[in-house]
Amino acid sequence: MTMSEVFIDGKRYEFEGQPQLLQFILDLGLEVPFFCYHPSMTAPANCRQCMVKVGSPVKDRETGEYELDDEGNRVIRWFPKLQTSCNTVIADGMVVQTQESDELVQRAQKDTLEFILANHPLDCPICDQAGECPLQIQTYKYGPEGSRFEVKKVHKPKHVQLGPRVTLDAERCINCTRCVRFTDEISKSHQLTIVERGDKNYPVTAPGRSFDDPYSLNTVDICPVGALTSTDFRFKARVWEMNQTPSIDITNGKGCNIDLWTRDNLVLRITPRFHPEVNDYWMPDAGREAYQLFNENRVSHPAQKLESEQVSASWNHALETLAEQLEQTDRKDVLFIGSPHASVEENFALMQLANLTGAKTPVFTPHVEEGSGDGFLLSDDQAPNAEGCRLLGLEEVSPKQMQTKVSEARLIVALNDNLFGRGVLDATHAKNAFWVVFASNHTETTQMADLLIPITTAAEHAASYVNVDSRIQRTFPAKETKYSNRRLSMEMSEGRLDRFGTSFDNWVTEDHKIDCVPFWDFATQAGERLGLNLHLIDGRQIMDQIATMNPAFEGVSYVTMDEQGGIVLAKESMAKSK
Amino acid sequence: MSQSDWRTYKPVLIPPVDNLHEIEVYRKQGGYEALKSVLTDKKRWADPKSVVDEVKAANIRGRGGAGFNAGLKWSFMPPADGGPRYLACNGDESEPGTFKDRKIFEYNPHLFIEGAVIAAYAMEITTIYVYIRGEYRPFIEMMRKAVQDAYKNGMLGKNILKSNFSVDMVVASGAGAYICGEETSMLESIEGKRGYPRVKPPFPAQKGLWGRPTTINNIETLSCVPLVIRNGADWFSSIGAKNHPGPLLYGISGHVNRPGVYELPSGVPVLELIEEVAGGMRNGKKLKAIIPGGSSTPILRADQLDGVTMDSDSLRTAGSMLGTSGMVVMDEDTDIVEVLWRISHFYHHESCGQCTPCRDGTGWLEKILLKIRNGDGETRDLDLLLDVTTQMEGRTICALADAAAWPVRYTITRFRDEFEARCKKSVHALV
Repeated sequence: MTMSEVFIDGKRYEFEGQPQLLQFILDLGLEVPFFCYHPSMTAPANCRQCMVKVGSPVKDRETGEYELDDEGNRVIRWFPKLQTSCNTVIADGMVVQTQESDELVQRAQKDTLEFILANHPLDCPICDQAGECPLQIQTYKYGPEGSRFEVKKVHKPKHVQLGPRVTLDAERCINCTRCVRFTDEISKSHQLTIVERGDKNYPVTAPGRSFDDPYSLNTVDICPVGALTSTDFRFKARVWEMNQTPSIDITNGKGCNIDLWTRDNLVLRITPRFHPEVNDYWMPDAGREAYQLFNENRVSHPAQKLESEQVSASWNHALETLAEQLEQTDRKDVLFIGSPHASVEENFALMQLANLTGAKTPVFTPHVEEGSGDGFLLSDDQAPNAEGCRLLGLEEVSPKQMQTKVSEARLIVALNDNLFGRGVLDATHAKNAFWVVFASNHTETTQMADLLIPITTAAEHAASYVNVDSRIQRTFPAKETKYSNRRLSMEMSEGRLDRFGTSFDNWVTEDHKIDCVPFWDFATQAGERLGLNLHLIDGRQIMDQIATMNPAFEGVSYVTMDEQGGIVLAKESMAKSK
Repeated sequence: MSQSDWRTYKPVLIPPVDNLHEIEVYRKQGGYEALKSVLTDKKRWADPKSVVDEVKAANIRGRGGAGFNAGLKWSFMPPADGGPRYLACNGDESEPGTFKDRKIFEYNPHLFIEGAVIAAYAMEITTIYVYIRGEYRPFIEMMRKAVQDAYKNGMLGKNILKSNFSVDMVVASGAGAYICGEETSMLESIEGKRGYPRVKPPFPAQKGLWGRPTTINNIETLSCVPLVIRNGADWFSSIGAKNHPGPLLYGISGHVNRPGVYELPSGVPVLELIEEVAGGMRNGKKLKAIIPGGSSTPILRADQLDGVTMDSDSLRTAGSMLGTSGMVVMDEDTDIVEVLWRISHFYHHESCGQCTPCRDGTGWLEKILLKIRNGDGETRDLDLLLDVTTQMEGRTICALADAAAWPVRYTITRFRDEFEARCKKSVHALV
């Protein structure tokens, strides 16, 4: 059997099944402009931007053979009207002409853009979407050069607070209905609809209702203009001023793929990054609001408790204190506490330190809140890496067991987990021991610390997390600490200014750099001080070590993870590792 | 009985019978006999398909404006699979100039009900929706009353005329949107959704109301069905124009002495319709132009009307369309610029706003026309108007953009001098 064929702009392509024309063209890496179409939602064909010319070959009714003209070419019967490619199903032998090869198509696309722009405010200079605006981009590429619209534009509601997180500017709206379809088809909250009629149309909630959908901010991402903007982020930064770094959502167990948008060593916003098997194009609003964790309330510079008050201490002093405590305390009285909120690499470093000092295997308590998941992108598991802790072989303990262990210990070395804040421990359990807490943010737990050592977050180091579906995925460093440098770090992403900026751009700032180090750095130094060889350099090298030592992680490396969009770790190897 | 000559024609859709809207009167006049014949006379009507064939042979061209053969449309329904199937009756007539279905609701609702039930039987349909425009409050009530009476008399509901055939009828109303007369947005509206036309395919016969096979017919179209059943397809197709046969409701409005709805055979000459049926031009004025079938059909100048008859072929040759045969007559004092602006205002107001070209095009057209009407237009604006209509036509999901563009295009080309007279000379061309 021969493959089905389709001819696009004179070139032959093969296809299987019944693909939609626009998606097929996009998958080929070709381009047809569009606004309302979204690959994860139904195609309403309402923007009329993706119009192409479509024809089918004429077949002889009796023989079933293609009819040929005098020159031996197939006779094509063109559709009488241009077709929207988003909802055209490709049929065998179909002939398609896009704007690349047909003037009428070119004109139709230009005409549609002229209509869209007729009532659009054209306020790009003050619009947040500018720089990442499909309307702006496609107007430059396919739009008319000027406007013939010399009459008054329609005025519609502006800066409408649709809900706690989303602001609407109805004048910018081009009525693609992506946001409405998102609440209908993806988040299923059905909170948005189009109201009014004709050119007065705009999306809004029912009267008196708030757009409080836990996924509401996704509508901001898919809005092809600046009509829906993030209430929190708007007016904060231009898109082109920021660096975009791939990362993983660490606020819950689902491990949504995200991008961190940074400027001046601050994470300014978080947007979802497409991953077909994890989060598609979406992420919960909660994960976006977590950007503040990377900027605010950070533990910066070590501290030691003197007479119930934490005072600043030097790094050297912190190292010395930890080493002394480890030397002085009987091995059986030392408790290492791992963390489902910390990465695989950090927990591994903690395990190595515990093992080499002769202490027991670190323990951890998962952070699960039953019923808080929704079967979509929010999981009951509130931590990004509980599965990673299990696979590493940390000892999983219940809150009760944790309390007992803590009460019995004399020295506790705890990794980034707010055990006091999330109700596992309270002050009565902590009385006996000397607490060494490694933390990124100030919490109830850091207040208990006798020695508090600041460590990096997912925005500052490359590290991996194993989500609830056993997929290991990794982050990239997005912002600098006092001890890292964007230009020297090979892991850090390059923004537009990194590539094209000059020293006059004044984009390098020392502000907002946190005085912290990766946990494995400090662990290695502490090891050296104690005469132990940890030799942990960075996430990449640590993962290579884990892969050779732990069968659950066999074959896992940053290279393979990057190539495959994360790796699903086999469940049976879990048993092997235990 | 020859019904071809309109001068001797006896009305059958809205015959002059007192209180015909009452079911007892209607039955006395032979009402519901066609239904009885279809349901019980197995010799004449062997199966539902025989009814479809008869209606197809009668060549009832859809009276909602598109003029598609009703019987042929019925035959597009897929075979029954035991699931629900629907008949949606379109009584949303909202186009300016069109007001014919209301006469049926008002004077002969049971003829329509009978026709709808026969259609339901022919297509093995279990539920009929009657969609009536929201502004027709009194007629909605009248229809509801008629439906109740039909239920009481056993013409609707379970086991109609002891034939084992059951069908329900629901009267649904719009909320005042022209777009809900477009068949697929009518379906959306019946489903309780916003009246946005659907993308076709899938066509309603495959996926209509609630995703089930649905046929959509105009009220007048269905009202013709009992007549076809009673008198035969040949009788029906012998009436009026050959390619567009049957009785037709003409809604005549504008500058005539006797505006109103007249039932006559199709194909009455336009000028006779104005002079003899509608009592001639008001105040003895001269005829300037007509809009033959609702505001979306292209306007015709008086000098284009010689020999033109009210049927689809003749009107197409003349450069317009039959539409819903709601004719607007305009005399010599009519300000064509004002007329066109008013029509454009209507389409701007009624565009649902789903598709870009219509949403932003209708408003643009109206605003330019308003400018010209107010004396601020320039001659180049006329070319811009024509450009905008070209950009709108054939590029949207439904035909509203076409309906909005045609009047502008044809009124400007047919009355260009009047528009130019209202415009200032352009100083520079538009880019």
